[in-house]
Amino acid sequence: MKSKHLLKRVSTVLLAVVSIALLVVGCSSSEAKGNSSENQTGEVDTKIAEEKIFTYGDTTFNAENDEANVNPHNGYAGWACIRYGIGETLFKYSDTMALEPWLATEYKNVDENTWMITLKDDVTFSSGRKLDAAAVKACIEDLVAVHKRASGDLKIQEIIADGQVLTIKTTSPVPALMNYLSDPYGCIIDMEAGITEDGNVSGTGPYIATKVETDKGVTLIKNKNYWNGTPKLDTIYVKTISNGDTLTMAMQSGELDGAYGLPYASLPLLSNEPYSISSVATSRSFFGQINYKTEALQDANVRAAIAGAIDKESFTKVLLNGNGTAAVGPFPASFAFGDSTVKAQPYDLEASKDLLSKSGWTDTDGDGYVDKNGEKLTIRWLTYPSRQELPLLAESVQASMKKIGIDVVVNCTANSKDVLTSGDWDIYASAFVCAPTGDPEYFFTTHCLDTSTKNRGGYHNDELEALEKQMSLSFDDAERERLATQMTQILLDDNGFIFASHLKMSIVSGKGVTGLVAHPCDYYVITADLDKN
Amino acid sequence: MKRYILNRIIQLIPILVGITLFSFLLMNIGSTDAVDVIESNTGGAMSALEKSQLRAELGLDKSLMEQYVVWLSNVLRGNMGTSFISSKPVMPMFLSKLPATIYLAFTSILLTLMISIPMGIFAAVKQNKFSDYLIRFLCFSGNALPNFFVSLLLIYFFAIKLKLFPVMGNNAGFKSVILPALTLTIAMASKYTRMIRTTVLEELNKDYVQGARARGIHERKILFFSVLKASMLTIVTLVGLSMGSLLGGTAIVESIFMWDGAGKMAIDAIIMRDYPVIQAYVIWMAIIYIMINLFTDIIYHYLDPRIRLGQEHE
Repeated sequence: MKSKHLLKRVSTVLLAVVSIALLVVGCSSSEAKGNSSENQTGEVDTKIAEEKIFTYGDTTFNAENDEANVNPHNGYAGWACIRYGIGETLFKYSDTMALEPWLATEYKNVDENTWMITLKDDVTFSSGRKLDAAAVKACIEDLVAVHKRASGDLKIQEIIADGQVLTIKTTSPVPALMNYLSDPYGCIIDMEAGITEDGNVSGTGPYIATKVETDKGVTLIKNKNYWNGTPKLDTIYVKTISNGDTLTMAMQSGELDGAYGLPYASLPLLSNEPYSISSVATSRSFFGQINYKTEALQDANVRAAIAGAIDKESFTKVLLNGNGTAAVGPFPASFAFGDSTVKAQPYDLEASKDLLSKSGWTDTDGDGYVDKNGEKLTIRWLTYPSRQELPLLAESVQASMKKIGIDVVVNCTANSKDVLTSGDWDIYASAFVCAPTGDPEYFFTTHCLDTSTKNRGGYHNDELEALEKQMSLSFDDAERERLATQMTQILLDDNGFIFASHLKMSIVSGKGVTGLVAHPCDYYVITADLDKN
Repeated sequence: MKRYILNRIIQLIPILVGITLFSFLLMNIGSTDAVDVIESNTGGAMSALEKSQLRAELGLDKSLMEQYVVWLSNVLRGNMGTSFISSKPVMPMFLSKLPATIYLAFTSILLTLMISIPMGIFAAVKQNKFSDYLIRFLCFSGNALPNFFVSLLLIYFFAIKLKLFPVMGNNAGFKSVILPALTLTIAMASKYTRMIRTTVLEELNKDYVQGARARGIHERKILFFSVLKASMLTIVTLVGLSMGSLLGGTAIVESIFMWDGAGKMAIDAIIMRDYPVIQAYVIWMAIIYIMINLFTDIIYHYLDPRIRLGQEHE
């Protein structure tokens, strides 16, 4: 009897729940049909008639990427600050990565350790405060106090503010100081307005962040008092979408007006009307570092043979679907000291075979692989999967090397750091932004010197060490470019590093979107020119 | 009953200590740590000095046991620590992800029961008829299709082609939960339907059913008042198991639908070696499984009073 009642009650509850659920689903379906306009987010739909709204999908705005908010003084969050049009730097980069004025009008190098920067007179922060030297001083002082990378780069001893003129004194010569100040961490923010708990700031850019949510996105509104033109959009929703397929399908469904970080395989889906793609080669390069502890690789002929057997053109055109450019050195051709100024080992399989045989590596047992003293030439190629291009490069290299008789064993692991530490590798392929501030010195100091933290293979060249010392003291741009070219050529002649390709950064625009253009520095995205019609 | 529940909750303590210690040790097997991961993800180059300073800041320079003891004593004082990656307190961060996970879990379970109970019973009643074969075929297919593939198919048809639901979750109200919930439901309902069909078939062949039929009781009455009730134990077991894994988050579905839940957070934390977040997740999972097992046992007891609570300890 009791169980009968229980069962009755259970069935009634179940029936009621099912009916309610069906009702809600039914209602939501009809509602969805009614609202099948381009944007399906409730908050957006209601405003369509009155406002110009832009929804932008981005893979990078997340804590994992060290972009937890838009405060430029926090890790790499300056990238979000500048990309989303919130903050601006004193100088910016042109399309050829040359410095040009932005918030400043000019700079003067008074002596090795003193720089004088004149600021524009008509700039205000979104807080309403006028931009002057005192505001910039407060911002930079906070930056070097809390941001280790910035304080290491800038080496600031003292800042003097006088009206619109800012004088910076450094503890030692910093020839690339203006470049460093143009790094996203150099976005000038109003320290009087402060930094909110969720990492929001008041900048000078065309848009103001009203909501900052780590790993979720940023809401931006037009800065009506913008100093450099009138922003055309009223509201921008930046949404963090880490999954490439979701990003692609959100573009296709019309939920997004623009997207950054789409997988290469998705780009052909969005290459025709109403979509448009803006692409540009960046200084993010994919390259292999030779482990000089490996006996076979201490032989210059073997290194040259490997460098000459990598088919970079096919790799970029076929495997990357044209979403990369074949690299010569670390810097793309758009840089004054880039690929057009240096020469690497040309792709020539026959020449590579000759080089191997000159060093005694020939196929004596007819197994298709060269050997010497009874030992097969095997290369352990170490790489990691988080950059979609690297496993593809490993496969491409494996196929190319087989043609000259080298057996490549690929180790593509998320634990590559462990393997690097253990030393069980011969070539380590990785991705690195070689000139994030447009200056060449960074790549050499991080990778190529005895003291470099990322010189994993133990590369050393006396001449390169001496040239780097010259570069660290040179303030003349032309001289620095000449030195960079010379140093890159040394690297390429030694074949201690083999550069495969430069990443081509692509931004996709949806229907009616204009002004969304990829830039070689990769951090100017949302500008006052962005519009949607 | 109260004593039994209290005992089960007390059992949580050694389990939590054991699980968190074990996971702490596992996390530290590799030679890389959070500082290496931070360096690698930010694309910058840190000097050895900078790295050691950061390690000291994060407390990673201490021995493993010291790190564990510090963490445990903080937890006992209600402080789960600060995320190494986002520098935000773990507790509010973790709690903010739970409503989305719970919402998705309950919606999926509800949809699953709505589909699988009638389908399972129907397939059993129509055993070896066309409809049974069709349901079994659908169940095989639903089980064979991986979640990520189902979600992509659903998005393609319902979001891109028909524009009925959004691709990205949870910002469009109830509409945004449908596709992720349906993705989870398809796999679960396939499994549930098979299990319910088998259980109902077993029950239908039992003597009490033959007896009821012989006494002329209506087939539908036998099915819903005797067979279904007897099959509830299987359903409760299935729901209990599914609830545990769903409340732990479903990383792939959460990632595809941009559903900001605990599963995605846990995977990100594991990749980034964000120990404080991982440990919070481990505690959550342990609590979830123990509590769900407890509820399941209590429900067993109510459904079938022959099952006595705490019997296994006597």
